Amino acid sequence: MALDITAVIKGSVAEITLSGELDAAAAPRFRQELEVAAAGKPSDLVLRVRDLEYIASAGIRMLIFAKQKMGPGVTVYVIAPQEQVLDTLRRTGLQYSVVVQDEYPAAG
Amino acid sequence: MQTNSLTVPATLDSLAPIGTFVLAAADAAGLSKPARYRLRLAADELATNAVTHGSAGAAVPGQIDVRLEMDEETLTVILEDPGVPFDPSQVPPPDDLHLPAERRDAGGLGVYLALEGVDRFSYERVGGRNRNVLVMNRPNKERMKDEG
Repeated sequence: MALDITAVIKGSVAEITLSGELDAAAAPRFRQELEVAAAGKPSDLVLRVRDLEYIASAGIRMLIFAKQKMGPGVTVYVIAPQEQVLDTLRRTGLQYSVVVQDEYPAAG
Repeated sequence: MQTNSLTVPATLDSLAPIGTFVLAAADAAGLSKPARYRLRLAADELATNAVTHGSAGAAVPGQIDVRLEMDEETLTVILEDPGVPFDPSQVPPPDDLHLPAERRDAGGLGVYLALEGVDRFSYERVGGRNRNVLVMNRPNKERMKDEG
């Protein structure tokens, strides 16, 4: 399944919704959206990934790229990842660099 | 033993059909959800490497062959590509996984995910081609029945 990306900037929050499969073929499109988001100098980058079924290392590298491009002052949220996507984030140490939660803003 | 094979151009557009092919085999082998994901990820990462590094500079992309072998115990995925010699098992694992992203170089992640995700991995150079062999253990149906 191809990757579907939608992006919106709401004030200081950049939101990107990913669905489908994020492999090396699709990663350049994700990078383009991250660069647009970074240009807006957001305080939060929110990645909605509930319907993202697959992420390869090329996608993980894009998350690392986003953190490096935006700097430590920007919080990257990964919202509602599927179990196997979350497993890949953990296996690659990304849980140290992003905030994983079910909703944004956080419930309660 | 059952066998099946797929031949595709060594391009990024071939990653999707390789993924579909491997996932279908994983389902036929009865692999668990995490195991099927990891096997597909491993095949995808090694195919990506073959395309982005192995075929670099080639005027016409070569072909990637994916062969499946299944017996009662294991499902084996064999990927062959015509790229420059590259043995993934010689790539050291990343040593910066624990660092914040700002301080990571993000190299070696694909090979790491591939090799760490399968039950057995081997590499050989055969006839001018790289052969990567990924093996997953199939669930033991008798044991599952006993435990169930």
